[in-house]
Amino acid sequence: MQVVADPFSTQLNLITPLISGLADGATYGLLGLGLVLLYKSNRIFNFAQGEFATIAAIVAFMFDTGSGWLPRTPYFVAIAVGVLAAVLVAVATERLVIRPLFHRPRVVLVVATVGVALFLIGVEGLLPYSKTASLRTISDALGVRSYVTQIDKVVVLDQDVAKLIALAALAILAFVFFRYTRTGTAILAVSQDATAARVVGISVERISMATWAIAGFLGGVAGVLLAVPPFGSVSPGSITGLSLTVAFSAAVLGGMTSLPGAFLGGILIGLIQQFANADHSFVPGLNSLPSAQSEVAVVVVLLAVLLIRPRGLLGRET
Amino acid sequence: MAAGVETSRAWAPAPRYKTGVGGVAVRAVALLPVLFLVFWLPRFNDEWTNDAIYAAIFAMVGLSMNVLVGYTGQISLGQQAFVGIGAVTSANLLKTGTTAADPLSFAAGIAAGALVAAAVAAALGGIALRVRGLYLALVTLVFGSVTADAVFTAPSLNGQEAGVPAYRPTALQDNYWYYIFALAMVAVCLYVDVCVRRSKVGRGLIALRDNELVASAFGVNVLGYKLLGFVISGALAGLAGGVYTFWSQEFSDKNFTGTAGFNLALVFVVMAVVGGLGSRAGVVAAAAFFALLDPLFGGLANVTGWPDWYTGHKQYVQNLVGAVLLLQTVIFNPGGLGQVLTPFTRWFSGKPFSLHADADTGAALGGSADVRA
Repeated sequence: MQVVADPFSTQLNLITPLISGLADGATYGLLGLGLVLLYKSNRIFNFAQGEFATIAAIVAFMFDTGSGWLPRTPYFVAIAVGVLAAVLVAVATERLVIRPLFHRPRVVLVVATVGVALFLIGVEGLLPYSKTASLRTISDALGVRSYVTQIDKVVVLDQDVAKLIALAALAILAFVFFRYTRTGTAILAVSQDATAARVVGISVERISMATWAIAGFLGGVAGVLLAVPPFGSVSPGSITGLSLTVAFSAAVLGGMTSLPGAFLGGILIGLIQQFANADHSFVPGLNSLPSAQSEVAVVVVLLAVLLIRPRGLLGRET
Repeated sequence: MAAGVETSRAWAPAPRYKTGVGGVAVRAVALLPVLFLVFWLPRFNDEWTNDAIYAAIFAMVGLSMNVLVGYTGQISLGQQAFVGIGAVTSANLLKTGTTAADPLSFAAGIAAGALVAAAVAAALGGIALRVRGLYLALVTLVFGSVTADAVFTAPSLNGQEAGVPAYRPTALQDNYWYYIFALAMVAVCLYVDVCVRRSKVGRGLIALRDNELVASAFGVNVLGYKLLGFVISGALAGLAGGVYTFWSQEFSDKNFTGTAGFNLALVFVVMAVVGGLGSRAGVVAAAAFFALLDPLFGGLANVTGWPDWYTGHKQYVQNLVGAVLLLQTVIFNPGGLGQVLTPFTRWFSGKPFSLHADADTGAALGGSADVRA
């Protein structure tokens, strides 16, 4: 929204970056949840998380529009099928790639997830659909108006509100899951000492598969929420290329071991990016900053967190 | 049996095998097909020469990955940024315009590319290597995308988005001679790699890779050695960037930013792993293979009658091939291509032919024969 008139307008300097920052932050937080889950349980960085999201969005798009030989299904069925596809892909990843490598150094697992990401990008590219997928927004599918409110001329998109709500709900759910359920505590037990967990009767294999299924579910939900207009569309590899690095930074900022931290880190990084990119021309000397301020801001935050407080804002151990 | 004597004999150097005249002759004849592939085939037509130069550049990047990932065991997902830094430095220092560069400043430009990349690696490594373990992968990944967006797209460095021309000196104007020059640069990278591997630095790095705690207890300077490995790797990548920019005769940011840059970063990791980390011959061969993937598969698609489909899907087909090779390497065959090649490289170096490799190929992936949990 380029309004030149008033350099001190609250809209330009506060409300626009605040709202877009929250919306972007929800994206990073959603991706970050899956990253944190797998780091918490397996101590690896999952570079395929962005592709779990992409494949969910693309499959949902294919069923929603009935592309190729697929039947056209109602919107919410298509969404469910998309998320299911992401879960299946994640489970297959665990079974075929992660489990054979379980006792190798962690760096091997990380390289393997890079391989999985490349593989999924290739598969997505060969699926029969137009190479960019834009899902309908939830309000569009329900047939209601496409924004919820307006603050000082800035439109608040209800898809962004949906993202935020989904992010908060999933973060709280995951927190409760790890704190109070048997499976959740079993996942934590396996991550701390697999042998000891086996001794007390936990099936390490089943737990590992459950962890990846949940990560796939989180990725899938992120994907179907991201790939909507006016800003979002998904093409093979686009979520990995555009959002995954920032999502990692968000997860590190929040603390790689804390699920609410992923939520907090995501929102903070989104806000930092948008305020770094906002119009600073009213501050003398700041109007000649390079065009990539938001990226630079992210890398500065990432390095600062890693050097000063490696466990992040809400992380537990170092 | 006196146990003490036996133990001390285990430390004695292995007996040297002397290869006779016949052995040398047989090896020379066996080397002919390799020389034919490297020197004669690229003469066939100009397109093949071009592809061969690209393969040589990839081989240089492969060797830079080998130093970093193979010897230090650190994973970098931002190597394309160092290649880009080398390219942007060489092109902008020379500012050839449309005239051929004079040979001296051409050499200086390429060297400056390597030096600036090394300096950036030193600055980044000084910060990033303090971070524990796998986080380096994250930092280099973010560094790659940030340099792409903040440096390569700066209008003053990419010729106001039009690209910076970088014309070669007249002696190298011919593609084949430029290919020979690129091969010489690969030889430089190989030499650096050998020097690193055989020196105190290389042994220190490998000790660090295998067990950081034990190595530091034996007096290896952890941060210093890691930083040295990182800087050497950055310098080699920067050198490759200089050769790259004079190959395409311009610096264009589009090759290093966005999806293209991200794809390069992944391909560099994939080719180093598939080549077999720690094995020079394997990494060079795998790098050449990945550089030639497009012409190879393009030719295959032409022969089998799928050229249009291939043109529309080439990126995805290449991704799939890379991913499948990578996954099969890490799961079933951690030594990679290097392990397959080791008996031959050993034989060529004058030792008897034996299928039992004693190299530490793939040790960075936890696949070596030594006892490790």
